[in-house]
Amino acid sequence: MNPTFANPEFIKTNGRIAVSVDRLAKTYPVPFLRLKKLLRRKFKPPVDALRGISFDIHEGEIFGLIGPNGAGKTTLTKIIATLVQPTSGQVTVRGHDSVHDDEIVRRNVGLAGAEERSFYFRLTSEQNLLFFARLYGLSGSTARQRIDELLTLFELGELRARRYAELSTGNKQRLSVARAMLANPPILLLDEPTRSLDPLAAARMRATIRSLAQTDGRTVFLTSHNLAEVEELCDRVAIIGKGAIHALDTQAKLRTMHTEEEHVSIGFASLAIVDAERALASSFSRELFVLHAAERRDESVVKFKRAPNDDLLNNLLRVLQESGAVIRSVETERPTLLDVLESYEREKESAS
Amino acid sequence: MILFLRRVWAFVARDWRLELSYRMQFFLRILSILIVVTTLFFISKIFAGFTDPHFEQWRDPLAAWLTGLAVLNYFMTGFSSLANAIRQEQVQGTLESVLMTPISVPTVIVASSAWDFVQATFFSFLYLLFGWLFFGVHYRGSFVLALFFLLLTTMVLSCLGILSASFAMVFKRGDPFGIFLGTGSALFSGVFFPIQLVSQYAGSGVASISRILPATYGLDGIRRVLIVGQGFSQVREPMVTLLVFLAVLLPFSLWVFGRAVRRAKRDGSLIQY
Repeated sequence: MNPTFANPEFIKTNGRIAVSVDRLAKTYPVPFLRLKKLLRRKFKPPVDALRGISFDIHEGEIFGLIGPNGAGKTTLTKIIATLVQPTSGQVTVRGHDSVHDDEIVRRNVGLAGAEERSFYFRLTSEQNLLFFARLYGLSGSTARQRIDELLTLFELGELRARRYAELSTGNKQRLSVARAMLANPPILLLDEPTRSLDPLAAARMRATIRSLAQTDGRTVFLTSHNLAEVEELCDRVAIIGKGAIHALDTQAKLRTMHTEEEHVSIGFASLAIVDAERALASSFSRELFVLHAAERRDESVVKFKRAPNDDLLNNLLRVLQESGAVIRSVETERPTLLDVLESYEREKESAS
Repeated sequence: MILFLRRVWAFVARDWRLELSYRMQFFLRILSILIVVTTLFFISKIFAGFTDPHFEQWRDPLAAWLTGLAVLNYFMTGFSSLANAIRQEQVQGTLESVLMTPISVPTVIVASSAWDFVQATFFSFLYLLFGWLFFGVHYRGSFVLALFFLLLTTMVLSCLGILSASFAMVFKRGDPFGIFLGTGSALFSGVFFPIQLVSQYAGSGVASISRILPATYGLDGIRRVLIVGQGFSQVREPMVTLLVFLAVLLPFSLWVFGRAVRRAKRDGSLIQY
């Protein structure tokens, strides 16, 4: 196990490592650099897409990778998929090196990329899948049976005879995931799998992804800009920025690493805002809370932040009730992955 | 082997279906071949009665032109099909999807070109068929030997095609092989006129270009068999030359293509075009 970002508390079904990323770096070279230097032509500096990152993904785990555009998510995905070679470091998939054993790695990995132009536009959904199934080595009958299963699973059965060019963006997305699963690979690489799906279809896709990991014991590596989706699906999440992993852990731990504070809103009635403010100010510092009228008539809301398990909530409720307020609701909001991501972005900006 | 054939079949079936989606183009090409053969028939009538004993293969210019065009069509396929296929996949954005499957580099090479060869065989056959059917062109000699020559020359030109595809993989455009071999073969390997004329009019220096083109030996061998009616022992010289070309170019071109794929992966430019 890599020393970096190894979490002993995270125990999966069998503890085996599906993907190991070890001191991986990728610099996109400047094409024909020597020639450009010789001719004294201007050139952009090489791009450091990944800067020596290390982590492991366990078998059966749903692993999320989040980060802003240009952070290195796609490069990392493509290196695992053997489509891009690293500058240094190593990726092993079930023990096989992604550069030297690339054919074996590709047998173990299915990739559903975010690129829409990865199918033959004039072929139908079924013909496209049949072509790729044969490249994966499936015989005619096995391929057709597998395609039937996948078209049903991804609700594309009625569109099987429709040309790829005529499919909606969401259906193209689903077909891409179906293709990734043609050879039933133990590891799925999903690059923004619900990017273009409507909310209902996205929810069904998430349920499918979850069942693939839970029922079939498949490992899923997922990149997404949809943080709610990552929160819903992933066992562990890595935050990547400018080619470096800023943090990697379970979501709960990431949130507490970022801040332990909770946002709390108390809705109350039968007490005017002015009176509530006076009562609260007599017991707490004014910077601690914010009061405003609620959307519902005759109700007000007090908002404040608290650390988990402190006495602030209890004390505030007591003061309000002693002043004659009737408590109507108490809502707590824990930090989201968006908060965590934003905090790392802020740290980065202040550092630079 | 079964797996290899299944993958080659996947490409052939895919390209057949893509071809079917452009039916009109297919029929127009057949028509254009018929028009070319008819035109050449009338041009050949200008030369009726003019026979030069030095140009044995050109006694019947129509037969010489038709074999030249049929063979050139096949050679050009061998030479350009892989580069075209790679470029097509790059433009469509499907190259990554294909290379994402557990398919080896030699399989990509053979499978990507397979349909083009099926098509080239059909269209080359049409040149000869139309000549025989409508314009009384007669071929003699062993068709098996002619086919062997065709296969051998195509393999040699396919090696150059692999080099051309390697170029397309890395540099995307501006393939120098296409310019030199494509236009060079048509001019210097005797497709439309005897290569002896180049020497006669442009000097032996320029004529030596034809000696380094594999198509020259292929075309010479096929015409000797089909038009003059020579046998195996008489066509040994161009055959040995082609075998030497193949022995040198095949391992070299495969090595270069493997390097080109790795280079594109290192640059992250597989789907760029």
